[in-house]
Amino acid sequence: MSTTVTGRRSPNSSKNNLHGWAFSAPFLIFFLMFLVWPIIHGLYMSFTGQTLTGANNGFVGFANYGEAFGDPDMWRSLGNTIYFTVISTIPLVLIALVMAGLVNMNLPAQWLWRFSFFVPFLLASTVVSQFFLWMYNPQLGLINDALSTFGIAPVPWLNDPNVAMWSIVIATVWWTVGFNFLLYLAAMQNIPQQHYEAASLDGAGGWRQFFSITLPQLGPTTVLIVILQVLASLKVFDQIYQITAGGPGGSTRSLVQYVFETGFTGYRLGYSAAISFIFFALILLVSVSQIFFNRNRSA
Amino acid sequence: MPNEIARILPPSGWRSPNRRQFLTGAALLGGAAATGTLAGCGGPAAAGEETLRFWHLLSGGDGVKMQAMIDRVNAESPDFDVVPTVLAWGTPYYTKLAMASAGGRPPELAIMHASRIPGYAPGGLLDAWDLDELAKRDVSKETFADRVWASGELDGDIFSIALDSHPFIAMYNTDVAGEAGLLGSDGLLTEITDPERFLEAMREMQAVTGGHGLSYGYINDGAQMWRLFYTLYRQHGAEMALNSGQPADVDRDVAIDCLTYITSLLDDTICASGADINNAIAEFATGGSGMLFSGVWELPTMQDAGIAFDAMTIPTLFGTPAAYADSHAFVLPHQNDVDEARRAAAYDFVANILKGSLSWAEAGHIPAYQPVVNSEEYRSLEPQVHYANAAEIINYDPRAWFTGSGSDFQTFFAANVQNVFLGREAPDVGWDAFVDRLNTILSKPNPV
Repeated sequence: MSTTVTGRRSPNSSKNNLHGWAFSAPFLIFFLMFLVWPIIHGLYMSFTGQTLTGANNGFVGFANYGEAFGDPDMWRSLGNTIYFTVISTIPLVLIALVMAGLVNMNLPAQWLWRFSFFVPFLLASTVVSQFFLWMYNPQLGLINDALSTFGIAPVPWLNDPNVAMWSIVIATVWWTVGFNFLLYLAAMQNIPQQHYEAASLDGAGGWRQFFSITLPQLGPTTVLIVILQVLASLKVFDQIYQITAGGPGGSTRSLVQYVFETGFTGYRLGYSAAISFIFFALILLVSVSQIFFNRNRSA
Repeated sequence: MPNEIARILPPSGWRSPNRRQFLTGAALLGGAAATGTLAGCGGPAAAGEETLRFWHLLSGGDGVKMQAMIDRVNAESPDFDVVPTVLAWGTPYYTKLAMASAGGRPPELAIMHASRIPGYAPGGLLDAWDLDELAKRDVSKETFADRVWASGELDGDIFSIALDSHPFIAMYNTDVAGEAGLLGSDGLLTEITDPERFLEAMREMQAVTGGHGLSYGYINDGAQMWRLFYTLYRQHGAEMALNSGQPADVDRDVAIDCLTYITSLLDDTICASGADINNAIAEFATGGSGMLFSGVWELPTMQDAGIAFDAMTIPTLFGTPAAYADSHAFVLPHQNDVDEARRAAAYDFVANILKGSLSWAEAGHIPAYQPVVNSEEYRSLEPQVHYANAAEIINYDPRAWFTGSGSDFQTFFAANVQNVFLGREAPDVGWDAFVDRLNTILSKPNPV
């Protein structure tokens, strides 16, 4: 293979390169204009006092970063984001695994289960938010109504700072668990059937097979799902903004929402950019640690 | 088709397209050859009538009323055609308007809450109104109530012309009030000037309805909490000043007194302790309570509900008549390149809408334009006329770049005070936390 490549690196190669660049150009231009340049410009902005109206626009050095590290709302929003990530990732992985395991048991009407578990994922965040806003309504909501038939006192789903984040997590799990479920199901269906046949010949029961064959075989998929899920959860904004708008009392405000608030309703684009870059550094850390984690696994 | 194309074209006929317009045009008509066609049929369409882009945030019943007013003025005005864009109230609207203005190519005209002017005008996001041009169209200081006119003023310039004022008021069920013996011989609620007496009166109403005496919803709604709080705060005659670089100048004792009084209303007998605005409206509309604290804009809802009710400003319980209010006000978003013909059309449109704002009063709002308020028709419009006195006693938010309707300020208030309203936290703790939050934002550089 390598000889072929070097063989082609002859008079034609620069022309081929040119063609390659020409074909990539439409993508590259957009990539540079709408991704790379905004990131560079955002980094620059984070060192200025830039505002939407143009007042106090000067270079401020690390003042924005200094302010952010001493800003209790920034830390609280970051804390909320991490809290959400932890309490949403665990059910989103475990429930997906259980659902995939159940569907994979050759139930009748498998397609119906598959469809039902996955279809909420196709809804827009606005639709999901409206569903849950109604269901969580303290007076008229479906959930409290159902609880009351069992004699359970109404739960202030969205009004209690200790409950609100869990309500968001429940909505999020219902909405997005289908994607992880699909990844797990596909991985399960790729496990060679012979493994199970051999195991049953050796007298292994269903649970034994699950823990000794299915789970280990799902290892790489689990790593993938956890990483994707952590990254998705860290970015949470839509459903929180639409269900509680960060309330009550800022108890569900995510860091992305805080960036939005400081930049667009608070006008302070420079400061908002600084917070974004602190968050960017955090996400970068997660992504890089994932690469190292994967490298160690395969080594 | 010509209309579609007129919208793609830059405001005053054909100029060379910028990137976005070019991409839109190319995408629609399939390439560079299409630009010639655009020039060909876009030009004449724009020549006859000026298109006036107008953004507003009025939805629901208000939106229908506004659209009818726009349609009427459009039909009467051969020179211009107002094309409204309606955006969702609150943050979505104000962020878009600010960004459009910062970019220098915003709509020719927009509606804002007058309380938001201090967050827009000093940063150059708004152009000032030309008082001579307004006077030519019979619009001047003399045609507005003093407080309403002053709400648009900043550093000597007028940045907004109010369409209305919409105070926070009390609506009361006349059947319930009558049965509780609270109506005077004129059929109106007897004057209550004592806070303890008001609690008693609400209990008397509760005895009649068997539900609650008062409906007031506030859960997750900073605006609702702030409206009642600030009404009572100003009734004490207390001031509130928020100046960048200085700590918030507030009367802590009065504030705590107000919060304590509000919690005494929210005792699950007089008023539900944890209702949201929709619960409160539904309760009052179905006769489940005797009184509702809400904005005037709920008036049509109650008229549709078919209950017997009247309306008044919130009773003066602490000495000074005061009502929280805001105004929908016309502003000229800052344009880098002002088209004089369009700007003149904007003046014409605003003057015409103001003069026809009687129909706006049907939506509950108090028209700002005094000739309308003093007209026979308005004077006979009940119950609107029973709270028209509010225009003399209204109080807009304390002025700062971050205050006003739908602002972060109200979010801060909700974040720190909701637990006080719910009885989970002491009034002084919630209030001090709110003031801390204000002091933090006041200590930061003012972005406008």
